[in-house]
Amino acid sequence: MTTEKGMFLEALRKKFKESPEDKYTKYYIYNGWKQSKRKTEFVAEGKKLAKERGVPFYNPDMHLGGIPLGQRVLMPYRISDSDIYVEGDDLHFINNAAMQQMWHDIKRTVIVGLDSAHMVLQKRLGKEVTPETVNHYIEVLEHALPGAAVIQEHMVETNPGLVSDSYLKVFTGDDETADEIDKRFLIDINKEFPADQAKQLKAAVGKKIYQVLRMPTLVATTCDGGTMSRWSAMQICMAMVNSYKLMAGEAAIGEFAFAAKHAEVIEMGTLMPWRRARGPNEPGGIPLGYMADICQASRVKPDDPVWVALEAISMAAVLYDQIYLGSYMSGGVGFTQYATCTYTDDVLDDFCYYGADLVKKKYGGFGKTKPSWDLIKEIGTDVSLYGLDQYEKYPALMETHFGGSQRAAVVAAGAGVAVSLATGHSTAGINAWYLSQLLHKEELGRLGFYGYDQQDQCGSVNSFSYRSDEGLPFNLRGTNYPNYALNVGHQSAYTGIVSAAHGGRNDAWTTNPLVKIAFADKNLIFDFTHPRLCFGKGALREFMPAGERTLIIPPK
Amino acid sequence: MANYKPQFYPGKSKVSANRKKYLDPSYKLEKLRTVSDDDVVKLMGHRVPGEAYKSTHPPLAEMGEPACPIRELVEPTPGAKAGDRIRYIQFTDSVYFAPVPPYMRAWMGHTRYRGVDIGVLSGRVPLEARERDLEKIAKELVETEIFDPARSAMRGATVHGHSLRLDENGLMFDMLKRYIFDKKSGEVVYVKDQIGVPLDKPIAVGKPIKEDELRKRTSEFRCDGDAFRDDKELVSFIERLHMLRTEAGFDPNKVKGM
Repeated sequence: MTTEKGMFLEALRKKFKESPEDKYTKYYIYNGWKQSKRKTEFVAEGKKLAKERGVPFYNPDMHLGGIPLGQRVLMPYRISDSDIYVEGDDLHFINNAAMQQMWHDIKRTVIVGLDSAHMVLQKRLGKEVTPETVNHYIEVLEHALPGAAVIQEHMVETNPGLVSDSYLKVFTGDDETADEIDKRFLIDINKEFPADQAKQLKAAVGKKIYQVLRMPTLVATTCDGGTMSRWSAMQICMAMVNSYKLMAGEAAIGEFAFAAKHAEVIEMGTLMPWRRARGPNEPGGIPLGYMADICQASRVKPDDPVWVALEAISMAAVLYDQIYLGSYMSGGVGFTQYATCTYTDDVLDDFCYYGADLVKKKYGGFGKTKPSWDLIKEIGTDVSLYGLDQYEKYPALMETHFGGSQRAAVVAAGAGVAVSLATGHSTAGINAWYLSQLLHKEELGRLGFYGYDQQDQCGSVNSFSYRSDEGLPFNLRGTNYPNYALNVGHQSAYTGIVSAAHGGRNDAWTTNPLVKIAFADKNLIFDFTHPRLCFGKGALREFMPAGERTLIIPPK
Repeated sequence: MANYKPQFYPGKSKVSANRKKYLDPSYKLEKLRTVSDDDVVKLMGHRVPGEAYKSTHPPLAEMGEPACPIRELVEPTPGAKAGDRIRYIQFTDSVYFAPVPPYMRAWMGHTRYRGVDIGVLSGRVPLEARERDLEKIAKELVETEIFDPARSAMRGATVHGHSLRLDENGLMFDMLKRYIFDKKSGEVVYVKDQIGVPLDKPIAVGKPIKEDELRKRTSEFRCDGDAFRDDKELVSFIERLHMLRTEAGFDPNKVKGM
């Protein structure tokens, strides 16, 4: 055991008027929903709109028994590692434009290699490919990708004012090639990443050239994720025809189409099976390791892998828990409450930094010890019992995480992240998560909702079950892994467990270097280097998303 | 197997001993209060006392069941024999030294009662059974030491409260205020049934168990009571269980000495 961190105490003091240690409080005196600025706003808006539409609408008196929400304190939430306090409602993705944009920025991204196309041009068609032709092709595609014509006559086109967030960038691991590419189009690995990360990434990419294509946010909101590689492939082929003066329809175009649609495409998420029926680039198909790589916090504070993991966890909580499991798979509004516990009030921060201190003290630093039962048991048990102690010592903390699923997620995440940091091994980290769940269940005599029985009580068995001695298959699991398909409050932390394992080893990426580089891009609307701060701005209504339709709708 | 004696629960602490006790069906739960049969029925809110049981099928004796070795082996409960519908009682147990937390309540239900279907969540434990069986079970659950009027509660929906701080009278929060503390009698009085429908007449379920008594009876670990970490046997039991499950998942041949 090491020293208590107390990182969440400041938030608890703001949330409740009593001391965090007090066991007693008063109820039924808070004026129901009227204590909440946001719900008061909802009531006014609901009344106005009900009148306009002639159909009853938002009315908190419809709550069971006619007793509305707010018989206890409707507490605010602090966005962890910030001074931003928000209401819980502000963290539902419907009410938070930054959360929507994070998802849209991921969904509208595909990576497409250029090498196959260049090979076809050179070897099959005898065309010359030079830095000039490559730059010209990219410029043509910058015009075409958002939805503009490049070879046809009398075509409809998209309004640039609606699709200004659509563009492409390219990157390569070869400095000489990078020098030849117009800087307006380049993701410059040397500039965007710390030197040791840039070195690792460039070695992984080599001389290959990749395009990162962003389709318009409006396409992401109107169509499904499977659209993206089709949209990009169509515009890539048109741009190729234009820039290399090809015949529209000659056999080689089929090669470009195949490369752009299949052979050279890296989707952010894979196709899902029929029983969950989603196309590529939908949240359920995004591996945990891709989420960890999409998060760019590791470029900002490479020496603080705990902070990096916490930032990645927040993104995964919003996408996997709130948007995918909470809406795609479940519906309703309850999942937000489960998920926000991982990125609010500095609670998970406290547990993770406690674990990090313990690892430094006992094992001399991060990524220095091979996984072993002694280590998993020692760190996993210590961090779990520390977390549970905090809930018992501070009743206000227990009240903040009023559902067992919240506590189970946060305590086990602390244990998993700590073991990942110690070993640099995400499978050891996830194993500690499951140890934590079993300990938690016995200590409190309760865990989470039914799903925690399903997922967490058979997790010990499946954590090392699939070729775990041959690599890191855990990085490739996601919400589509059979046991993970319905359970909120897990995948967020799993992403952190992957992130911490590699962060602890000073790896530049966790699973796919191309994905890591693709999101090192200042032109993205969402700030992937500081997701929690961005969600906070969304909650404060200070975040400006893309895909607004003001140009094509009547003024209010 | 002939000499096998179930231990019910590992651990050497007082809390573990209470867990063993409550899970052991040969231990008779101590009766602490009396709630009449009719009041139990009213608290659950499924039927009016005196009303006939609603049935979902004719009595089994009249149904001409097919030949089946399992049916011959298992004696139906009275409710099943009669064809009663299935109804529920659901409890919420506070984290502040309630006599039984959800898993104990669920496991106890399985070791003590027949024909029950129990779920476990962090803030509620539904128990479903044939209606006349349920009423008998519910009476024991409400009248004995595993129920504290202040820290345990019957809640069909809107169960929120197990983890919240206690009110000024030491009661667990209930948004629907199904029960109140009667300062005059010192008892907890239900004014609504478990789903939140107002009762015609309030029903007293007894005085809250005193704090020191509650701490003796509780099967909840807490660091301000009996700390889980101090029960070394229990902690190491869980660690070993996890290790064996993991190794068996990786390669069952590696697990030796079981």
